[in-house]
Amino acid sequence: MIDTEVLGQFAPEILLLAGTLLLFVLDRAGALRRELFGAVALAAILGAGAIVLADLGVGFLAPLRGIGAAVVDQPVGASALYGFSSLGLLFQGIFLLAAFLVALAAVSRPSDEPGAAVFYGLLLLATLGMMLVAVAADLIFLLLALEITAIASYLLVASPRRDPRALEAAMKFYIIGALSAALSFFGASLLYGAYGTTSLRVVGHSLPAGAYGDLAIAGFGFLLAGLAFEVTLVPFHMWAVDVYDGAPTEVSAFLAGGTKKAGFFALFLVFVGPLLLVLAPGTGPAGTFRGSLDLTVALLAVATMTVGNVLALFQSEMKRLLAYSSISQAGYMLLGVAVATAPALAGATFQIFAHVLLKAGAFLVVAAAAGLGVGPLVSDWKGFGIRRPALGVAFGLFLLGLAGIPLTVGFFSKFVLFSAVVEARGWFVWLAVAGVLNSALSVFYYGRILRTMYMETPPAGSGGAGVGARSSLAWDGLGYGRAAAIGIAAVLVVALGIDPGPLLTAFQSAATHFLTFGA
Amino acid sequence: MAVGIISVVLLTLVGGTLLTFAAGRWARYVALGTSLVFLFEAAYMLSAFVWPLPNGAGVPLYAFSETAPWVHLSWLTINYSVGVDGISLPFVLLTAILQIVTVVYTFEEDRHPAAWFGLVLLTCLGSFGVFVSLDILQFFLFWEAVLIPMFFIIGYWGGVRRRYAALKFLLYTHVASVVMLVSLFAVAFYSHAASFDFSDLYGPAQGLATTTQVVLFLGLFFGFGVKFPVVPFHTWLPDAHVEAPTGGSVLLAGLLLKLGGYGLIRWGLELLPSGLEHAAPLLYAVAFASILWGAFMSLAQRDLKKLVAYSSINHMGIVLLAIAVYSSLGVMAAVLLMFAHGIVSALLFMVSGSVHDSFGSRDIVSVNGITARTPVLATMIMIGALASLGLPALVSFPAEFSAFLATWDRLGYFVLLPLLGLVITAAFYLWMMQRLLFGPARNLPERAHDLPAHEAIAMGLLVALIVLYGILPSLLTNIIVASPIHLLP
Repeated sequence: MIDTEVLGQFAPEILLLAGTLLLFVLDRAGALRRELFGAVALAAILGAGAIVLADLGVGFLAPLRGIGAAVVDQPVGASALYGFSSLGLLFQGIFLLAAFLVALAAVSRPSDEPGAAVFYGLLLLATLGMMLVAVAADLIFLLLALEITAIASYLLVASPRRDPRALEAAMKFYIIGALSAALSFFGASLLYGAYGTTSLRVVGHSLPAGAYGDLAIAGFGFLLAGLAFEVTLVPFHMWAVDVYDGAPTEVSAFLAGGTKKAGFFALFLVFVGPLLLVLAPGTGPAGTFRGSLDLTVALLAVATMTVGNVLALFQSEMKRLLAYSSISQAGYMLLGVAVATAPALAGATFQIFAHVLLKAGAFLVVAAAAGLGVGPLVSDWKGFGIRRPALGVAFGLFLLGLAGIPLTVGFFSKFVLFSAVVEARGWFVWLAVAGVLNSALSVFYYGRILRTMYMETPPAGSGGAGVGARSSLAWDGLGYGRAAAIGIAAVLVVALGIDPGPLLTAFQSAATHFLTFGA
Repeated sequence: MAVGIISVVLLTLVGGTLLTFAAGRWARYVALGTSLVFLFEAAYMLSAFVWPLPNGAGVPLYAFSETAPWVHLSWLTINYSVGVDGISLPFVLLTAILQIVTVVYTFEEDRHPAAWFGLVLLTCLGSFGVFVSLDILQFFLFWEAVLIPMFFIIGYWGGVRRRYAALKFLLYTHVASVVMLVSLFAVAFYSHAASFDFSDLYGPAQGLATTTQVVLFLGLFFGFGVKFPVVPFHTWLPDAHVEAPTGGSVLLAGLLLKLGGYGLIRWGLELLPSGLEHAAPLLYAVAFASILWGAFMSLAQRDLKKLVAYSSINHMGIVLLAIAVYSSLGVMAAVLLMFAHGIVSALLFMVSGSVHDSFGSRDIVSVNGITARTPVLATMIMIGALASLGLPALVSFPAEFSAFLATWDRLGYFVLLPLLGLVITAAFYLWMMQRLLFGPARNLPERAHDLPAHEAIAMGLLVALIVLYGILPSLLTNIIVASPIHLLP
C-alpha cells in the first residue's frame, strides 16, 4: 500500500530516481547523443528544482507543491525517519543548483567520450542521496543517504575508465570514504548503545537529562570524525586534493560544489539542529559538554581555514590550488557549527551557497580551459585572460568571489558569516578575526592567478593559452553547455553580490526555524 | 522614493562604464561622453548645494541625501545611504575633473582601449561612491571597487616591473582595507548602533569610552594610513607609481590617495573625536616622519616620476598633520590641500609621462635643457613644480599656509619641522627644473616632440584650475565650511 502523501513529499527524489533509471536503460540502447542524456538529466534536475521551490513557497509554482505547508518546520515524531525543515529544503535547492551547473557544463565534454549516460545517471543518483540527507531525522537514514551519494561519487570519479589518474583518485576516494562511513556508523552504534535509539530528536532530548556518559561522548566523537572526512576538515583533508586533482574536472566541480555541502548539512543536523539545541552553553554538565564541543569544532575550523590557505599558497597546479582553497572555505563554513546560533547558521548557509557558485564555476572554467588546450599548471594560464576575454572575466569573478572581494556574492557571504559570529560575542569574536585574517591571506594566491592570467605573456612560440581549440564546439571550442553554465554562475555571483537581500532573508528565517525544528 | 542627483550620477557612471567596456574601438568616445555628463552633474551639485544644518540631536545632515533599505537581518542592518556635505563635495568635483582629464590625456591609448577606458571609469566610479557613501558597508564596497581596476591598470599597462608592483599594491591596500572594515564594523558593534548608517553611528560612536575610541581609531588609522600613504606603510607607492602607466598614476595620486584622507576625516575624526585627540601624538610623529622622509627621498631621486611620487608622501604627510591638529582650520586645510594635491600631482604625473614619451627617459640627471626643444611641455613642468612647492597665487599655497597656521595654533614651534620639509621641497623642485629645463641641452633625441594636442588640452585644463583656485580659494573654502567642521575647536 503506497501512501500518496509520501509520494508527493518525495516527488523531487522520485523524479531524480526515474531520471537515473531512464539513463541507465538508455545506455544500453545503443548509439545516442550525449546531448540527449544531458537533456534527460537536466529535465529531471529542473523538475525537481521546481518542486523544491514550490515546497519553499515560491508563489507561481504553488500547484507543484508536494509538501503541505503545515508539515514544514513542524516537530517530527520520535520514531520518524525524516522530516521537512525549510533549511533542508533550501539545501535541496543548493544541491540541485550544483547538479544543474555540472550537468549543463558536461554536455560540452567530448562527444566521443564513452559512458555519457552512466555519467549523468550517477550524477542524478548522487544528487538523490544529497536530497535525502536534507530531510533526514534519524542517524541511520542520514548515514545511508550519505552512502548513496558517496558510492555514486566514487563511480563518477572513476568514469574515465582508461585514465589511470582518475582510477587512482577513485580508489583513494573509495578507501577514505569507506573509512569515513565506518567511523560514522560506529559512532551511530555507540549512540544507539547509549540512548537505545538513533532518532536525532530523542537523542537530543535525552542529552540534558545528564545522559551523556563516555559512551555517548565517544559516539559523537566518531561521528564528528566520520563527517569531518566528508567535508574535508583538517586533519581529515588529505584525500581531497588528490581526488579533486585526479577526477574529471566537472566531477571535481560537483564534489567541491555539491557533495561536500551534503556533509555540511549532516553536521548541521547532528551538531546544531534538533540534537543540540537544548544544550544551552553555560554551567552544569550539559553546558560543559556543549562548551567542549564548541571548542573542538572551533579549533577544527581555524585549523582547516589556515592549513588550507597556507598550503594553497604553494601550489603550482591549478586544480590542486582550487582544492586547497576549497578546504580553507570549509573552515569558514564550519564556523556556523561552532557558533550554532541562528545568524551563524544563516551565514554559514549563505557561505555554502556562495561557494557552490564560486567553486563550481571556477572548476568549470578550468574544465573549459583544459578543453581549449591549457595545461594543468598555473603558469600555463599566462595570457589566458587576454586571449579569452569572456572566460577570463568569469574566472576572475569566481576568484575574486572566493577571495571575498566586494560586488561578488563571496564578499557578502563572508561578511554576513563573520558578522554573525561576532554577534554571538564572547570568545567567538576571535573566530571571526581568524576568518578575516585568513581571507586577507587568500588574496595573495588568487591575485597571483589573476596576475598570471592578465599580466604575463606566454613564452614565444607556444601559441599561448586558450588558442589551440582542439574541439569543434561552438564559441571557439567552448561549447554551449559550458558557456551557459559558466555564464549563469557568473551572473548569479554578481547579482547576488549587489543585492543578496531576499535570499539572506530566506536563509535567516529558515535557520531560525531550524533551531527549534524537532524540539 | 524620488531618485536624487547622486543616484543619477551613480547610474550615469555605471552605465557609462558598462558601455565603455562593450564599445570596442569607440570606447574613448563613450568614455569622454560619460566624463562630460559626469562633469556637468558635478557642476550641478556644486551649484545646487545647500547644506542642511544639523538636526536637534546634533547629528549632521547631508545635501542630496537618499536612503533605502538594502539588507535587513536580525543582526545586521545595511542601507543604501548617500549624501554630501562640504567635506565630500570638493572630492566629488575632483573626481569629475580627474576622470575627464585622464580620459583626454590618454585619448590615444591603443592597447585594449575598451578595457583601459572602462577601468579608468570604474576607478572613478568607485571613488565617487566612496565620497558619497554614508553607510559603512556601502562605503567599503566602493572602496574595494577602486582597488581591483587599479590592480589591472598597473599590471597590464604598466612598466617593466608592473607585475610585482601590481600584486604588491593589491596586497598592501587589501590588507589595509580589511583592517579598516573590521575597525568600522567594530565601531558599529561596540556602539550598538541601530544600523551601519553614519547618522545612526554618529551619536553612539562619539559616546564610546575613550580607551575604546583610541583602539578603534588606531585600527582605522592603519587602514586609511596605508592608502595615504604614511611612513612606514608607504613602500607600495613608489613601486606602484613608477610602474603604473601615466593615466594610472594620475588616478592613483589624484584620487586614490585622497580616499585615505577623506576616510580619516569622515569615519575617524567625526565618529571618534576623542580617539583622535588621544592618538594625536602618534599622528604628529607619523606626519613629521612622512613629511621629512618624503622630502628627503625626493631630493635623492633622478627619476622625475619617482621624485613626484615621493613628494606625494610629503604632501600627504602635511594633510595628516592638518587632520591631527583637530581644529576647524586644520580640517579645512586638509580638504583644500587634498584637492590641490589632486590636481597638481595629476599635472606632474602627466608631464612625467610626456617627458618619457618625448625623450625616452625621465632621468633628470642625463636629460637636460628641454625648454628650447619642447617649450609647451617645459612650461607645464614649471607650473606644476611651482604649484607643488607652494608658490602664492597657485592652488597649494592657501592650503599649505592654512595647514601650517593650524599646526602653529596647536603645536607652536614644532611647526618648524614640517616647514623644513617645505624648504627641501622647494629645493628639489628647483634643482629638478634647473637640470631638466634650463641646463645645456643634453641627450635630447632627434625625434623629441612637443605635447600632442590632447595631452596639452588635459594639462591646460588642470593649469587653469590651479590658477583659478589659487587666486580664489574661497570658491572651495565656502563649500568646505558647510560641514560639521565648525563644531571643532
